[in-house]
Order: sequence, then structure tokens, then C-alpha cells
Amino acid sequence: MVDPDGTAAATQGEGGGHVTVKTYVNVAIVLAIITALEVATLYIPGIPSSLLVGILLVMSALKFYLVVGFFMHLKYDHQIMRALFVGPLMIAIAIILAVMALFSAFLLLPRSH
Amino acid sequence: MADHAATHAVHDPNIGTTGLDHRKMGMWAFLGSDCMFFGSLIGTYLAYKGKSISGPSPRDVFDIPLTSYSAALLLASSLTMVLALAALQDDRVKVAARWLLATAAMGLHFVLNQVYEFWTFVHHHDLTLSTSLFGSSFFVLTGFHGAHVTGGVVWLLLLVGLAWGGRLDKRDHTKVEIAGLYWHFVDIVWIAIFTVIYLIP
Amino acid sequence: MATPAAFMPGAKAEVPTFWGVIASWLITVDHKRIGILYGSSAFIFFLIAGIEGLIMRLQLARPDNNIVSAQTFNELFTMHGTTMIFLAIMPMSAAFFNYMIPLLIGARDVAFPRLNALSYWIFLSGGLLLHASFLFNAVPDGGWFGYANLTSSQFSPSHSIDFWMLGLQILGISSMLAGFNFLVTIINMRAPGMTLMRMPVFVWMSFVTQFLIVLAFPAITVALILLMFDRFFGTLFYAPAAGGDPLLWQHLFWIFGHPEVYILILPAMGIVSEVLPTFARKPLFGAPVVIYSGIMIGFFGFGVWSHHMFSVGMGPVADAAFSIATMLIAVPTGVKIFNWLGTLWGGSIRFRTPLYFSLGFIAMFTMGGLSGIMHASPPVDLQQTDTYFVVAHFHYVLFGGSVFGLFSGAYYWWPKITGKMLDERLGTVHFWLMMIGFNVTFFPQHYLGLIGMPRRIYTYAGDLGWTFWNLVSTIGAFTVALSFLVFIGNVIKTARSGQVAGPDPWDGRTLEWSIPSPPPVYNFARVPEVRDRDDLWLQKYGDGHEGAPRPKPAPVTAAEIAAIYMPPTSFWPILLAIAMAVMISGLLISMYQVIVGGLVTLLFMYKFAVEYHRPAGGNRH
Repeated sequence: MVDPDGTAAATQGEGGGHVTVKTYVNVAIVLAIITALEVATLYIPGIPSSLLVGILLVMSALKFYLVVGFFMHLKYDHQIMRALFVGPLMIAIAIILAVMALFSAFLLLPRSH
Repeated sequence: MADHAATHAVHDPNIGTTGLDHRKMGMWAFLGSDCMFFGSLIGTYLAYKGKSISGPSPRDVFDIPLTSYSAALLLASSLTMVLALAALQDDRVKVAARWLLATAAMGLHFVLNQVYEFWTFVHHHDLTLSTSLFGSSFFVLTGFHGAHVTGGVVWLLLLVGLAWGGRLDKRDHTKVEIAGLYWHFVDIVWIAIFTVIYLIP
Repeated sequence: MATPAAFMPGAKAEVPTFWGVIASWLITVDHKRIGILYGSSAFIFFLIAGIEGLIMRLQLARPDNNIVSAQTFNELFTMHGTTMIFLAIMPMSAAFFNYMIPLLIGARDVAFPRLNALSYWIFLSGGLLLHASFLFNAVPDGGWFGYANLTSSQFSPSHSIDFWMLGLQILGISSMLAGFNFLVTIINMRAPGMTLMRMPVFVWMSFVTQFLIVLAFPAITVALILLMFDRFFGTLFYAPAAGGDPLLWQHLFWIFGHPEVYILILPAMGIVSEVLPTFARKPLFGAPVVIYSGIMIGFFGFGVWSHHMFSVGMGPVADAAFSIATMLIAVPTGVKIFNWLGTLWGGSIRFRTPLYFSLGFIAMFTMGGLSGIMHASPPVDLQQTDTYFVVAHFHYVLFGGSVFGLFSGAYYWWPKITGKMLDERLGTVHFWLMMIGFNVTFFPQHYLGLIGMPRRIYTYAGDLGWTFWNLVSTIGAFTVALSFLVFIGNVIKTARSGQVAGPDPWDGRTLEWSIPSPPPVYNFARVPEVRDRDDLWLQKYGDGHEGAPRPKPAPVTAAEIAAIYMPPTSFWPILLAIAMAVMISGLLISMYQVIVGGLVTLLFMYKFAVEYHRPAGGNRH
């Protein structure tokens, strides 16, 4: 099949060849551990709120990355697939943050009334 | 008239000039779009967080152990989903069907947990859609996620039905793969919702 | 099953019956026919919306007028705006996406032909639902942007807002499905040798537009869902008494609404980028820069939405941020204008109707852009917002811009689609009547806005000094209407006795001019190999370095044509669209209809999905 962008070569891994069942199980175990740690962090006595939020966000971002990268195979897929998902994801996150700011959820932008 | 089989063997209408499958590409584009959908719902929830003027607060009603269990369920179901795909790519159709069924079952369990959760909110805490901003935004956000999961369960059960009816095999791995992509997406949305809504104070 | 044998030379044509012809349009999956369906429907809705505009202008021609009541006037401006945006301009752009994108990229159809048909039938059902409101005397009246909490069940108790809300949801689904289809088509179905930078600029602008569609529509989907839940299920999203904020609607709506205006203008910009090089006989000046500008406009278009909200009290920080972003986005837009001018400069210009409309686009869109830049400053906008100055601005960019651009495309590609040339003299008359009429209608509205005339008022007192220019504006509107009659006359005359166009009547530069007019169902007998953005020009004339143009390839054989596989027709798209319409309109009638409609929809979705899935033990088709 003629391939104008020279991209066909990058589509290996389509059949899951690079990711073994062992890898999947390991990822699942790591995900379970992180989830347990997340819930445990909630019960640490006296933990400052900003630290708690920071830790939780980092851990969930890690879980997100593991599921998207390994289970959804995006780590091994063609960059087009990555662009189709990551671009919109970035825009969505930016909009969530903007809406939070506009509604003073961060108390960054004081209302003018 | 040209030889039908030869013609169709040469050209798979699902593969494009990049060598990638149209359907897989379309599914990733859809998932990008769905990020904006859930982003808007999550943004709404966060905009209204702490602004309800009456009614129970999140701390009053959330059952963290139950929702943690539900989160674990979805993560486990993502594992069974990739195992199903791997089995199908190995042409082990019966095994694949069983993993798909397990995925669907865990998804259904998740939905039932949510139904139970909603029921307790309404009947034990007097929190409904119209009680407060929290009630409205919580039920709509998690409700739409639950609807996505339900749709995924139906999709998976249909695939199981096709497999049992001898109409699914290694050649259909892309169809199962895109069902998997949808399923994992539903999982990662829950990762976001679980952290942002349930865990973060 | 479409048999290629029917297209072989000497094949006997079937005698078409009336119902056979109708059926063939209902079950078509051919992108060209779907494009014609979109274009015809869009034009009819355009006329309806135009009449709504004319009635408004009649009402405003004199002070203290009573042709229509205030309530009716609210319905008119709501339906005029909603119809023009969602049922006229967007589907007219979709007509060009459908017909032209596969031709421009050297493909035989889109990636998902049945999904393509489904998008059209869903669009039609949305337009019909919106207009069914007339039959039930519940015409939407909350403005095309339906601000909360006017749209709440407290302040809009009738079904009028429900028709609007559900109609828009349906239209959103249609647009998004088509968006996914074209994204995959453009990425994955380009002819060999056509790298992304060798794609025609119309395809690039359409590509950016599809991204905008699939990323912006979810925001309005959510806004409408929240409204639906407030109206039907008692949620409190837009309820101030419970702490809800009507501004949430405004934010979500404009997060969609601003990218939406780029969705409306980019396709027209793409058309202009094709027409100018053809009629200047020069390549597009700085084509890569035009492409990058389009991408930047699309991307940054997501960061400016609150410039529609400068008067709501967001505070100086938010105002400043959105103001700066809005001014920045004018840069890539302005860059394109200079590129278009650069294309014309030094070109060998042939003055034909497609070029007139593209030139008109440049002039009118620039004027609209200038008033737009004024709005970008919050203090200035506080004077202008909600006045006729804004009405003038957006009509300059949407009519002077999008509509002129779409007409340019219509005159340009009419020969390819129909095989006939639209009459050049009637086209010239159409252009000048429309150009003059449009400016007479809308230019005075800048002044009216600045001297204080608000938007969306159904009448005004005679001692405010607004009377004369309102009358002038109305005369302009009827001149525009006359120009439309000229266009319709041209279409009819051409259908009856128009000059036959060959494959390449304009001496074009891109692939669509290398095939017959109208194209055969399979578009290209042989998949082209592409070497350049203006590949056909290169084929015909060489690039000055090679010397002679490329030698003509060997003629296509019957065997090659017989080997072409085209997707067969299907009745699932229209059936599924009908089931969805029954389900969604059930929300206005009865829950049983929703449930039954929903179950049928699920069944039809399954049938659609497995239509080509093999039976037990069998081979796939």
C-alpha cells in the first residue's frame, strides 16, 4: 500500500506484539497499588490540604498515563492516534482550569461585584 | 465481471493510506471529543463545588470504601479487556469471549454499585437532583459516566453474543480493539472523577 | 449491490422509475449525492431564514410599527439566527465537504459512507424538529444563544425552548458524526504522494473545521443537557435562587460559540484560497503560511470565548486576558488576507463570477474584522455590545464573509457537480445586486448601533433619529432578496439550457478538474499519484524546470473500472435517523415514545453495525 507520509512502518505493535500478558498484569498490579495509596493518603492525619490535593492529582495522572499508554496501547501506536487524543485532552484540561478560575474555584480571580 | 473474492482480498476498505484502520482512528477522535464532554461536566461540578446553599455536603454522603471498590472494579475490568483482546489475536475465541464476559460483568457490577449509591443518597441523605447544586452536578456527572459504562456493557455483551454464535474470530480483532479503547476511556474518566470528586476535599 | 459493470462502456442503462429514483436518494451512501442533499436542504432553510429576516426588516422599516407583535419578533430573530447558522451555513459548508473533499484528495468516497448518510438524515430530522415548532405554535423565542435563565421553565413555560434545545442536540450529533468521518477521511484516504502539506488549502481549512466541530460541540451538548435537566427534572444548574449561576450557561455556550464562528468562516476561507489562484493563474501566495494561520486560528479560537461576555462583570483580570487573546487571534486572520492579496498581485486575472464573490469576501470580511477588532477592547465593547453595531459586525463576517465565500464555491464548482456552467451574465447581476444590497442593509447598522439602537427590539420611537437608516437598511434587505431571485433564475435557466462544461472549464489547478463533469460514481478511474499541491497544473504545464508537461497516461481500460469496488446502498442510515428522531421528540410527547424509540434506536444501531459483519461461519462480504 503506498504510504505518502512514510508512516506505515510505525504501525507495528498494532497486534499487541510489543505488550505481553505479563506486562498487562504488572500494570494492573501497579494500578491497584496506586489506588490503595490514594485512598490511604486521605486518612493521613493532619496532612495539609494542598499537599493532599497535589499527591492525589499526581497519582491519578500516573494511573491515567498507565491505562492510556499500556492498556490502550497508545505508547506503541502511531503518533497520529496520540495527536488525536492528547491534543483534545490538553484543551479539555485547559478549559476546566479556566472555568474554575472564572468561577473563583481557585479564588484567583476576584468577582468584580 | 471481475473475480469478487480476488478484488475484495486486495483491498480492505477499512485500512487507509497510512496503513492504519479507519475505525481505530475514528474511535481515538471520538475519545478526544468525549474528553471535552466530560471536561465540561467536570468543570461544571468544580465551578459549583462548595456553593450549595443547603442540603448535605459531599463529606456527609460519600462512601469512600464503596467507591474505591468500584474504582478497583473498573481497573480490573480494563485488565480483563486487554486479556480478551490478546486472546482473540491468538485466535482463542472461547477464551476471549470469557474475558469479555468478565469485563461486562464487572462493568455491570460497577453500574449496580452506582445505582445503590444513588439510592442511598436519595433515601438516606435526602440528596436528589433538585436538592442543591451538589445534588444536580453530582448526579448528572456520575450519571452520564454510568450511562457510558452501561453502553459499554451492552456493546461487550453483543460481542460475546457474536463470539458464541461463531461470528467473531481473529479477523475481527480491530472491532474488539475499538470496543476496548472505549472501555478503557470509561475507566480513565472514572479515575479522574474518583480523584477530583470523591477524594479531593 | 453497485455493480461496476453498469459503468462499463456499452452497458445498458436501467430505465429509472419515479419511486426508484426517490428510493435511490434515500438509500444512497455516495458522498456526491449526500453533498447535493445537504446543499439543497441548506438552500431551502436559507430561504426560510431569509424570509424571517425580511419580515423583521419590514417591521423595523418604520417606527412604532405593528406588522408583527413583540413575541413574534422574538421568534423571528431566534429562528433567523438559529436557522442561518445551523441549518444554512453549516450544512452548505457540509455540502462542499461532502462533494469536494474526496475529489480534492484523490479518493473514491469518505472513510465511513453509511455514517455519512446517517449524518445527513440526522441533520434533516433536527431541522424538521426545529421547524415543527411552527405547527405546534411553540416557536423558539429565546434568541439563537438561549441565555439562562430566560430559558428556564419558570420564564419560558411553553415548549418553545424545548424544540430549540432538542433540535440543537440532534444537529450537534449530526455535525460531530460528520466531523469524525471527515477527520479520518482526510488523514487516512489521501492519494499516494499527497502529504499533508500537498493537500489543497480548502481541505486544510475543512480539516481544522472538523477538529473545531468535534471539540466545540461537546461544550454546547453539556450546556443543553444541563438546561434539559433544569427544565425536565428540576436540577438547579441555572437557578439563581439555589446558588446556580446563569453565567455557567454563557461560558459553556461560548466555549462552543466562539469556535463555532470559526467553523462558519474557515470553509469559506478555504474556498477563496482555491478560487483566487485559479482566476489569477498563480499559486496561492505563501500557501504554507495560510495553512499554519488556519491551524492557529482554530487552536487559539478556544481561548477567546469570554469576549462575548465583557459586559457581565467577570472582573478586570478575566476581561484583560480574553481581550489580549482576541487581539492576538486577529494576527493570523490578517496574515491570510495579505496572502490572498499577494496571490492576486501580478496574476493574470480572469474576471468571472466565482472571482467576484471571492473578492467580495475579502473586502467584506475585512470590514467585519475591523469592527470585530473594536469589540476586542472591553471598554469599547461596553458601548457596542447589544447594539446594532454588533449586528452589523457579525453580518459582515457571516454574510459578507461566509455567504459570499459559499457562493464563490457554488459558482466555481457548479460545472463539476452538474456538468453545466452557470450563466455568467446572470451571475454578474446576482453579485452586484447582492453586494450593493448587502452593504445598503448592514453598513448603516454600524451607525445605528453607535447612536444607541439596541439589538432585538421589535420597534422604536420615531423621535430617536433611527428612522431614516432603518428604512434604508430595509430597502437593502429587499435588494438582497432580489439578488437571490436572480440566482434561482440562473439555476433554473442553467438546468434547462446551460452551457455544457467539460472536465476543466476554468483551467484549474487541483485534482477535481482531472475527471469528468459530473464525475462518475467512482470519481477516479485510476487513483492519482500526487506530486504537488497544484498537481493538475503541474501535469498540464510542468513547473518550468522540467520543460515539457508530463506525458498523458495510457487510457483507462474496462477491466480497471470493473475492478473498482464501491460501497453499496443501505437503508439503515435513514431508518436509524428516523428512530432517533422518534426517541428524542418523545421527550415532548410521552415517556413511552422515548422508551420505545430508544429500544428501536438501539436495535437499528446494532443492525447498522453488523450490516457487513459476516453470518455464522461465512466469509465477510
